[in-house]
Amino acid sequence: MASLSQQLVNGITLGAVYALFAIGYTLVFGVLDILNLAHAAIFMAGAFVAFALTGYGLPPVAAAVVAIVFGGLLGIALDRVAFAPLRARNAGTLAPLISSIGVAIIIQGVVRGIFGPDQHRFDVGALSTVQLRAGPISVGALDLIAVGAALGLMLALNYVLLRTPLGRSIRAVADDRIAAAILGIDLERTIALTFFIASALGAAAGILIGLQYGTVSLDMGSRIELKGLAIIVLGGMGSITGAALGAFILGIAETLSVALVSSSYRDAIAFALMFGILVARPSGLFGKQKLRGA
Amino acid sequence: MKRLVALFAVFCLSAAFIPAAGAAGNAVKVGVVADISGSAGAYGTSQKNAYALAADDLKNKRIDAGPNDVTFDVQDAASDPAQVISLVQKFTTDGSALIIGPTLSSEAFKADPIAVKANVPVLATSNTASGITAIGPCVFRDSLSEDQVVPEALGKVVAKWHPKTAAIIYGDDDQFTKTDYEIFKAALGRLNITIVETQTYHKGDVDFKAQLTQIASQKPDLLVVGSLVEEAAKIVGQAKTTGVSAHVIGGNGLNSPKFIALAGSAADGVVVGAAYFSGNTYSGNREFVSAYQKQFGAVPDQFAAQAYAAAQIIGAVVKSGKTTGAQICSAFGSSKVNTVLGPFSFAPDRNASAPSAILTVKDGKFAAFG
Repeated sequence: MASLSQQLVNGITLGAVYALFAIGYTLVFGVLDILNLAHAAIFMAGAFVAFALTGYGLPPVAAAVVAIVFGGLLGIALDRVAFAPLRARNAGTLAPLISSIGVAIIIQGVVRGIFGPDQHRFDVGALSTVQLRAGPISVGALDLIAVGAALGLMLALNYVLLRTPLGRSIRAVADDRIAAAILGIDLERTIALTFFIASALGAAAGILIGLQYGTVSLDMGSRIELKGLAIIVLGGMGSITGAALGAFILGIAETLSVALVSSSYRDAIAFALMFGILVARPSGLFGKQKLRGA
Repeated sequence: MKRLVALFAVFCLSAAFIPAAGAAGNAVKVGVVADISGSAGAYGTSQKNAYALAADDLKNKRIDAGPNDVTFDVQDAASDPAQVISLVQKFTTDGSALIIGPTLSSEAFKADPIAVKANVPVLATSNTASGITAIGPCVFRDSLSEDQVVPEALGKVVAKWHPKTAAIIYGDDDQFTKTDYEIFKAALGRLNITIVETQTYHKGDVDFKAQLTQIASQKPDLLVVGSLVEEAAKIVGQAKTTGVSAHVIGGNGLNSPKFIALAGSAADGVVVGAAYFSGNTYSGNREFVSAYQKQFGAVPDQFAAQAYAAAQIIGAVVKSGKTTGAQICSAFGSSKVNTVLGPFSFAPDRNASAPSAILTVKDGKFAAFG
């Protein structure tokens, strides 16, 4: 039984990983109604920038801050290149999907050109190996930080969206872009800031996950992308709280299916469970377009 | 553009004429299919490096092919099975005497039959799954197969630590790791070691804590890792943090300096059954290692060594005057060559017959085990 409670802890830490990725992913969807398929590439690029900077001797925290800001700026650039021109021409939702794939491929190509195709070890010394124990349960310090960050970022983002002028603008744009513009909200600025926040979150997630698993690799984003998509659908597209909750459900479902059934069916069971939830609640756990209603 | 074409034509003509003008030597073109990029890029890059080195050594006669001109046409299959197939097809029609590759066993099972049909011999340098040479009468390999290496490695581990129980974790969606599992399972059975837990993962997974927690609860004496470098590095790291205290043993997939680079201190003590140890004292190995290090800034791994050994074997056969595909195929069987892998010959079933290397990681480096 000790192992089952340990598995629950494993599930929560795995869920935190998914949540970190999914929160930024769902934010852009909530505001713009488009899937930003370059989110995984920015996630990866953020991790590589932090990896490179620590390699040059920058302290980990400073490297992370620079990489997060870099991720945010990359997000603004992404919007300018892939989304803004299409938005100006009312291109619908399918064209931006494709252009975001294009940007993702370009980002991957650049990172591959600089760092090569190999995985790289990413560790910040002592913190990577610290293990905390409580009775039969053990959890890594970095795992705990990931859980804290996932919950903290979820709360902070909800606060920004619900209680600040910026959040009000974002919600207004999400609700009705034209009405928001008529009311004097600077549309492009609000969208740019949304991309900055979402992509900075993506980069932060990449850094944390890279540290947690001790490596950065070109495909670290694409490996988590599909699960991220499933999570934001499960949580209710555009719902921050839903994305976080969906992520923890997936993480726990995966580890428990290993513990109780078989590791060969880990993904199959987890996705079957999500399918079941969606059949019961087709619009996801937190309904539709929570950002707008909130 | 025209000038470029003209230049290219002159270049091709001169390339074609120089060897002919030389002595009675023949040109022997070897097509190499390697995954230089993509998920198996780490292995293919080592192979590409080795052929670059071998090409130099053929020129300066450190590999002696007699008066003949052996060239390697190294092409990147990008870890993409479709590209592997189209490259093998290309090499069966462009006058290549022999095809080396592809990098992975799973690719070989799909692509080698094409070469067999076209009567072009194949020399595999990194396929370790069972049944590769059975694909055709001219399919050879210089890589020791897992079922040659694993029992020997397990035997040494049993002699030292006397384990009674073992747990296995392996990738169940990859030919190599699945074969690894089957071979380890059979070898453990023969040694009367009870398998108390079997766990699987999928290619590209990064989180193994759930599986390892299950394994830790069974307290096995031995943890068998049927895995390639990227996943293996994370598995041994997470085994430490999930409380698995067993001795860890793995197969060829772990035998790369990249494993140690990615796993860090968690790699210490891991036992690896392998085909090559860069510290071996076989003739020519020291020169190979130092030349490789000088040119590529890293110690050659087994993929580089097996690729280089292929060049040595081909050199020896070509030197004896066998320069067409059919001649090379029939000459391989009786050839005995001193390579960087040790004294090498092909067994009657065209598998490699060479000494294996049982290694352990000590202070961040591979060392002989036992």
